[in-house]
Parts: sequence; C-alpha cells; structure tokens
Amino acid sequence: MSSVLHATALSKHYGKQAAVDRVNLEIQPGRIVGLIGPNGSGKTTTLKAALGLIPFEGELKVLGFDPRTQRDDLMKEVCFIADVAVLPRWMRVRDALDFVAGTHPKFDRSKADAYLAKTKLKPTMKVKEMSKGMIVQLHLAIVMSIDAKLLVLDEPTLGLDILYRKQFYQNLLEEYFDEGKTIIVTTHQVEEIEHILSDLIFIREGKITLNTSMDEIAERFTEVMVGSEHYAAAKALGPIDERSVFGKTVFLFDGINRSTLAPLGDMKTPGIADLFVATMKGTYA
Amino acid sequence: MNTMKWLLKREYWEHKGGFFWAPVVVSGLLALLTIGSMLFATAAGSQGSFHLDGNNAAINLQQALNDISDPQKIEFAKGLAVGYPAVAMPLMFTLGFVVFFYCLGCLYDERKDRSILFWKSLPVSDRDTVVSKALTALVVGPIIAIAFALALSLVVLFTLMVLAALHGLNLFGLVLGDTNFYLVIAQIVSFIPVYVLWALPTVGYLMFVSSWAKTKPFLWAVGVPVVGGVILTWVNALAGSPFVLESYWKIIVARGLGSVFPGSWLGQVAETNVNMNPDNAVSVLLANTYSLLGTANLWIGVVIGLVFLAGAVRMRRYRDEG
Repeated sequence: MSSVLHATALSKHYGKQAAVDRVNLEIQPGRIVGLIGPNGSGKTTTLKAALGLIPFEGELKVLGFDPRTQRDDLMKEVCFIADVAVLPRWMRVRDALDFVAGTHPKFDRSKADAYLAKTKLKPTMKVKEMSKGMIVQLHLAIVMSIDAKLLVLDEPTLGLDILYRKQFYQNLLEEYFDEGKTIIVTTHQVEEIEHILSDLIFIREGKITLNTSMDEIAERFTEVMVGSEHYAAAKALGPIDERSVFGKTVFLFDGINRSTLAPLGDMKTPGIADLFVATMKGTYA
Repeated sequence: MNTMKWLLKREYWEHKGGFFWAPVVVSGLLALLTIGSMLFATAAGSQGSFHLDGNNAAINLQQALNDISDPQKIEFAKGLAVGYPAVAMPLMFTLGFVVFFYCLGCLYDERKDRSILFWKSLPVSDRDTVVSKALTALVVGPIIAIAFALALSLVVLFTLMVLAALHGLNLFGLVLGDTNFYLVIAQIVSFIPVYVLWALPTVGYLMFVSSWAKTKPFLWAVGVPVVGGVILTWVNALAGSPFVLESYWKIIVARGLGSVFPGSWLGQVAETNVNMNPDNAVSVLLANTYSLLGTANLWIGVVIGLVFLAGAVRMRRYRDEG
C-alpha cells in the first residue's frame, strides 16, 4: 500500500518567517508516529497543512489526496483532534453524537455509546458543564467510533491530569488502533507516549532533525555513564550530548557501536525525552 | 446521508435563543399587551365610560357595540379580516435584528471559540456549511418568525372576537366568511421568497465580514460603511460636494446593511398603494413586493450577495483560527 503521508519540499511561510521549511516526509500505514518538537517548531503547522486547514507550498499528498484541492474527500478518511476543548460549548453529548452520525458516513454510533457508557458523561450534558478531561473523553468517543484511515492528534491531552492522559492513550491503543490505521500524534509529554510509538520524528525550526523508527533508536543511540577515568576517551568518540550525574558523566552517542562503548561504562538506550533535550539544545537560546 | 438537514439542525440548536426564544418572548409580550388592554377596555367599558363619535354621554360597552350599524360592522369585520396580522409587526422587526446578529457571528464565533476545528474535522465542505448558515438566516429564521406571527395574530383576533361576542357584537361569521382572512396567510407566507432575494446582499456581506474579521466583526461591518460616509461628508464639505451622499447612505448603508429587515423593500418600489383599502391592502403590498422582481436593484443585490457568500466560503476554507 502506498504511503499515508507523502511530503516533498513542504513549506509554509508566515510573512518572511518559514514555519515549515522544505520538509520531506513519508509516513507508512499501520504506524503510530510521534511528531515531537519545541513550541513554534512547525509541528502544528505541518499537521494543519496535512489536514487542509491552511495553504502551503510544495507537494503534499495525504492518503493520495491533495489537501488543498481534495479536502472534502480527504476528510472522509481522516479524523483529527486539533486541540483540547474545541467542542462547541453549547452542544449536548446527544447532539454531538446525532450530528456526527448524520454527517459522517464512517461513524458507528453504537461504538460511541458503548464507550461513553463507561464514563460519567450523560446524554443531556452540555460541553460547557464538563471538565476538560470529560470533553476529551467525549471527543475521543467520537473519534474512536469513526473508521478513519488516519488519525491526527495535536496535543490531545494538554492540560489533562495524569489519569485522563493514561486512559486516553490506553483506549486509543487497545480499542482503536489496528494495522489498517495510522496515528500521528504531537505532544510535550513525550515520556507518556514513548511506549506506544512505532516511529519518531523530531522537528526543529521547521526542519526535520530526526526521523526514525523506535527499533532503530535502540540500535543508533546509546547512553553511557562514564567515570572520570574514561572521560577523555568517551569525549574522543564524539558524543552528541553530555551531562553530569553524581560525579559521573552521561554521554549520548549516535551511531557508535555498542562494543566500542562497552568498556567506557554502563550503557542503556536513551529515553525519548533525553534524546529530545539533547538534540534540541539551544533552541530557545 | 442528509448533511444539509443536520447542518440546519445544528444551526437551530446553537441559535435557538434568537430564532425560537426571541419570537416566543416578543409574541408573549405582544399577546400580554394587546389582550391585556382588551380585557382592561371591556372591564372599564362595562362600567360605562365609552364616548363614541364625540358623543359626551358616557355609555357602557354593550350599548356602544349595540349602537354600531350594520354597514359599520361589515367595514370593521373587513378591516379585521385583512389587518389582523398587523399586531405581529414587531416580530418582523425582531427577526431583522436576529438575522443581522446571527450573520455577523456565525462564521466569527466558531473561529473565536476554535470549535471550527471540530466542525472541520468532519467531512462537511465549507460550501455546505456556509450555505446552511445562509439558509438559516434567509429561510429558517423567517419561517419560524412568520409561524409565530400568524399564531399570535390569530390568538389576538379570536380573543377580540370572543370578547366582542360576549358583549353582543358577533363578528365570527363576517370575519371567517371573508376570503381575505385566509388569503392574507398565504400572502404573508409568499413574502418569504422575496425576503430571501432581498436580504441576500446584507446576509452575504455580514457573513463575509464574519468570516474575515479577526476581532470585532460588528465594528467592521457597521463601522466601515458609516465611517466611509462620514469621510465622504467631510470631503463634500471641503471640496464642494463631488459626491452624491444621499445615494451613498441609501445604497450602501440602508440597502447594504438594512435589507435583513422584512419590508425594508417597500420604500424601494413605485408606490401603487394610492387606493389601498381593506379589500386590497395585502394584495397591494404583495404586488409591490413582487414588482421588486422586475427591478435591477433586487437582482444586483442578489449577485453581490452571492459573491460575498462565495468569498465567505473561500475565507472559511483557509482562514487560520490562530
């Protein structure tokens, strides 16, 4: 099957500022892709371009559709949660389900009802009476009941407490995701989605700085805790980052063979958060 | 999949306050006012304080009504049979306000509260969405308002006739036997198509501003034409009147902004109502209204309205909510 998202030299300028700068990107079906970047790095802009919400330059195909000219067809196959709390405040739970059922050919009402039955939401409840967490539950119930090929989540759990956040990703993984679907998610809480991702994309100042599968990360990146006696030797191997912990130095290496590193100290695969911090150094400087 | 039906429902849910509760409240007040004063009049009248035709002898209502001659009675019934919807005029004025502010807010509010991101996550085109909003303003709103207007008119008319009958003046046969009584309903309903065409430029303009304004759509929509007029007035004062301001105010401000008010077209057509009387009042108004269909004024407005609506679709397509 062809790729879910295919971008060639995708750019978006706000005035003279490039929010997205000649990005090339390919996302395959059946993946859960984390799009990670600091504030203002172009994550949301990239997603908005893919969802046909903004004009852009370059070439971009999502599920084979051009979001600029074929948005109406595209939206039958794509679903997104653009932000928390964008459900209209006047709407009742029942109205929301009725409306989506009436307008979306791939919406399964019984699924949504079953999911909502497990929450505290009542059909007559209005969005403005709900907490942020409940709004997201409703939105997720709607989105999970739509049989879309691509689901885009832009900071879907921002401002939620950890219970809602855990539940959100758990539901997504257990009750929604399958090999025929693709999920693209952006978030700042990288640790929380680390275990569900299959691919990782880092974006910085409108450019992609890392695009790899999670399996590859273990092969490519190694974190080594080095005592002072091996400091110079480790430094000589060209670490991409170093930090001090308890009198020792933690070095992060990219593409150095583990057998080379083993004599230097204890090794482990870095977490996404450490990798992120290391590669994004100086972003706000 | 009947998307348009759901889009219209959606608009109704969200704007029930303007399209349903506003006419409820206004009709309630009107009913209270008119029926209240009728009851007051009958109560006061039974004490005998009526003065008819400058006759200073105070008589009670019963006597007053008994004194009405048959030709007078027929005249009166004719007037009632054709004029009873007049009591609901304020509802049409209310409708004008509701439609005005609905159009101004409908594409702006969804960007302001970011709910547009939810609407746009569904497979509904921007064109269909804008069309559903225009139809709500031009058709759904007026139909509801007219339904309320007719209901209110009938309630008031029947209350009046019951009260009159209780005091010895039976008008039921005369009023209900008058074809105008039924015709007037059909005629009022047939104002709707003209309203759709006439209000289109204002609805289109307001919706376009609504889709475009980053903040304060009201100030942009009303402020720009008014400030424009003030500037032109200054230029006229300083440079010896190069502009014909009267037509500016008439075309841009009155026609451009005011066409959502039902009946605002009546000043715009050749008056043929010189001989208006109870027998022909509604048909004269209707004829005047439909004579609009032959004017360039109406059709130019329609074209401008459609252009603005197309612009609003375009705006909604790519307007970044921030």
